[in-house]
Amino acid sequence: MPSRPLSLFFCLFFCLFLLLGCASAPLETYDASPTPAEASRFLQQATFGPTSGEIEALRHSNFPTWLKQQFASPQTLFLPEVEPEHARLAKGENLRQDLFFRLFWKNAATAPDQLRQRVAFALSEIFVISFEGQLDVKIRGAASYYDMLGRDAFGNFRTLIEDVSRHPMMGIYLSHLKNQKEDPARERVPDENYAREVMQLFTIGLYELNPDGTPRLRNGVPIETYDNNDITGLAKVFTGFSYGGPGTTDQHFNQQNKESNWDILPMKGYPKFHSTSEKRFLGVTIKPQTVADPEGDLKIALDRLFTHPNAGPFLGRQLIQRLVTSNPSPAYVARVTRAFNDNGAGVRGDMQAVIRAVLLDPEARNPAPQATGKLREPVLRLSQWMRAFNATSVSGEFRIQNTDNPGTSLGQSPLRSPSVFNYYRPGFMPPGTEIARRNLVAPEMQIVSESTVAGYANFMQSTIEAGVGRAEGGRRDVQADYSPQMALADTPERLVDQLDLLLTGQRLSANSRSRIMEAIAGIAIPQNNPQAAANARRNRVKLATLLVMVSPEYLVQK
Amino acid sequence: MSPASRREFLRRAGAFSLLRAAAPLGLQLAGISAAAAASQPDDYRAIVCLFMYGANDGHNTVVPLDAEGYARYAAARTVITLPREDLLALPTAPAARPLGLHPALAPLQKLYQRGTAALLANVGPLVVPIKDAATFKNTTIARPPKLFSHNDQQAIWQSFSPEGAKIGWGGRIADLLAAQNGKHLFTAISAAGNAVFLASDKTIQYQISNSGAIGFNRLGATNIYGSAKGAEALRAQLSASQNDLFAQEYAAVVNRSMAAHGLVSSALAGLPETDPRIALPATLQQDKLAQQLRIVARMIGVRNDDNIQQHRQVFFVSLNGFDTHDHQLGKQAELLHSVAESVAYFQASMEALGVADKVTLFTASDFGRALLSNGDGSDHGWGNHHFIVGGAVRGGQVYGQFPDPGLNTGTDVGNGRLLPTTAVDQYAATLARWMGVRDGDLPQVLPNVTHFATSDLGFMGKA
Repeated sequence: MPSRPLSLFFCLFFCLFLLLGCASAPLETYDASPTPAEASRFLQQATFGPTSGEIEALRHSNFPTWLKQQFASPQTLFLPEVEPEHARLAKGENLRQDLFFRLFWKNAATAPDQLRQRVAFALSEIFVISFEGQLDVKIRGAASYYDMLGRDAFGNFRTLIEDVSRHPMMGIYLSHLKNQKEDPARERVPDENYAREVMQLFTIGLYELNPDGTPRLRNGVPIETYDNNDITGLAKVFTGFSYGGPGTTDQHFNQQNKESNWDILPMKGYPKFHSTSEKRFLGVTIKPQTVADPEGDLKIALDRLFTHPNAGPFLGRQLIQRLVTSNPSPAYVARVTRAFNDNGAGVRGDMQAVIRAVLLDPEARNPAPQATGKLREPVLRLSQWMRAFNATSVSGEFRIQNTDNPGTSLGQSPLRSPSVFNYYRPGFMPPGTEIARRNLVAPEMQIVSESTVAGYANFMQSTIEAGVGRAEGGRRDVQADYSPQMALADTPERLVDQLDLLLTGQRLSANSRSRIMEAIAGIAIPQNNPQAAANARRNRVKLATLLVMVSPEYLVQK
Repeated sequence: MSPASRREFLRRAGAFSLLRAAAPLGLQLAGISAAAAASQPDDYRAIVCLFMYGANDGHNTVVPLDAEGYARYAAARTVITLPREDLLALPTAPAARPLGLHPALAPLQKLYQRGTAALLANVGPLVVPIKDAATFKNTTIARPPKLFSHNDQQAIWQSFSPEGAKIGWGGRIADLLAAQNGKHLFTAISAAGNAVFLASDKTIQYQISNSGAIGFNRLGATNIYGSAKGAEALRAQLSASQNDLFAQEYAAVVNRSMAAHGLVSSALAGLPETDPRIALPATLQQDKLAQQLRIVARMIGVRNDDNIQQHRQVFFVSLNGFDTHDHQLGKQAELLHSVAESVAYFQASMEALGVADKVTLFTASDFGRALLSNGDGSDHGWGNHHFIVGGAVRGGQVYGQFPDPGLNTGTDVGNGRLLPTTAVDQYAATLARWMGVRDGDLPQVLPNVTHFATSDLGFMGKA
């Protein structure tokens, strides 16, 4: 223990350190090799879950190098896996959502480009499309949309919002595909759906923001970013867009079957159906046109949204929430906004710079003890189990169907949100809780209920016990390999150490650890029967894994 | 239920009462007087909110049938006009405008004809009455925030605040009346996941699944994987108290779930899904809304079970998909079919359980839609038409003012978006009063209710 003057000195030094930290940008570059626990925590944020191999590799490398490697890693694509199935379809036949889910879980579990896959999933919860509704059987289009999110995850935000806006799956989902210009004679106005949501949900949000994500106030009241006139103005921009490809006739505008790749080609402007009247939105005025210019108008509109000061904090805060913590401090958001506004080379909207800022922030790497972290969403719990235990698929296809059922499964499936507002909202405060009383948010808690907590625990019991996915010949398709853990099972403490590292990043409480050790020690390992001993070791691993993965300690990622 | 979890449940129930003791005086008095009224064994009342997420198009739900009104409707709707001959005529007073229902609403037409369903016309969020569209456009008269935005207007309908609201009016009614119930936990029940309608800082909404309460497997096992300590460790890992804020709240839900499971399961065993009084007809077996209403019906059916003991309850069910910007004609017909069939099933089950006059179902939705067609659908609006169904409803009538049909009317704030002529507060107040909330307590539930001429629209209260 330091002497009194010495600890005073440390205090002063620490204060100075904090002051300097506030004043000057990246305080810490995190280029030292992390401890195994630090590596695990990082991989929980940046991937679908740590593996022993990744933790070990990262321990001998560092976070910036890992990020650089991931940014350079080729994308594992969904669409090429869908194409052969699509080509085989007879007329009138459709692909099934199961195909998408299989590819999702296969890539979550095994794709080497984990960061890209993980960020694509995060983006799919911001730029939401859903199989619930008209995209029901549009598997090829959805695969293409998901690949687009993965591609643009490491590109520029301006490209991302253009690709999202032009994708025919979004065009169907938010109904701007085939949206036609106003026609006063026939009492028709443009569809306003996309104009509203592209502002509210995808780019700027409802209120003007400071760079740190807090609302700007005028006379103590938040300032709205747009009103209904902006929406009707912007709605005219999103007229005249329909199926892509070379065709330009009215039939190409109106009919899917004119272009066999309609579901994967970006929508394009058809001047005949595009509004030529004056378009006013967000302080921009596009003058009445003698020749309709859908492409030019789209560029003006997306440039306006991209350069809006809200874009950085609006996207940045949500990416932090998806990957790191539900409640970032304003200073953390401001640092990410700074990276969004300028990647250091004068480029705005560089997604790699944003991701780097999100993951290499002091609040991500060394959060204060009272920081909330985030509740792991159900999809990420299952993916983490798969990766922690090197799950493999008997068929090679990861035959997992939708995981919607809240009573018997996860209560969440990728790309099956009930609406464009995702499974949960970024500002959700669970009512009647201390979280709400402290004015904190917990988005993922929106799908936590008396039913889902039991449904999840039961689903995990079954999954840990017997694997997951469709069973063939009595064996479920996705199976864990518990053998590395079984090798530690004779010593409960070593086994729990390893699970604690893999699953929580060494955050299990002492109570929890001793409870688990005591419970697994209750499974005797017979000395003279190798088969029975192996079974007992496997049972120890399964029980210990279950006891970790159902605990609220595990469920909160910090 | 194990003794440990029962103790936990009682502890939580105790904590709940302490919270109540700290509530404002009005709340306590209401609780006490109402508790006295509830001492009769079968004094029971419940409201069921059926929320149509995405914004049901009211203009195609109730359509003017007179030649002039229909012509004005059809002129604005163009391709999404419903054929006049398909509309289901409602009995209307001689002097009133004749109205017809969407053809998918036949079961609702029957309930209306029988006097067990009423129509509330052009209701929507308001802060103060707004005389006409010109006043709305040309003055800064107070208006609800974030008009026409889905998530915000959903929240405003349910709680009078935009997204981020923490207290809904269903939850507030539950706060005021929970003292009458044996088990507070079952005062506010959602069969449709988390709903701000039922949110409150006092009453916790119990989120039930369509099949009832879901229990945690193996908690009672003598051993798990051969470990005699497995079950005990599993329970502790799931539910032990936590130091971490988020973990603690998660554990609280787990504890609530464990406590409720035993009570609900044992009660519901007395009214299984196959019971003819509440069994779903074959055509509704797969209907998501009907499945929610079945668990509501079962919970109401077992309200007097020792494990449940309810006298006042607020329920929430919902259906998604009403955001008909495109393909409106097909989509809306399918959805309204589900609504009408499910509501008729629910009403029949309430009659079979002998509680038809004690249970009132009402509809709500994000907002109405614009009258003007966008070519294949309709865009976001404001005022909307809604239904109230139940044995205590003074049915067969239109309440509120049915708006003048067509565009550029006194209630058209643009493209046929309706300026509401009745406030959600008034709608809610009429239901709250029927539930037994005292007039003096209404402002606690409905902050703006005093701005409007009446807090009783008259559709409730049939003897």
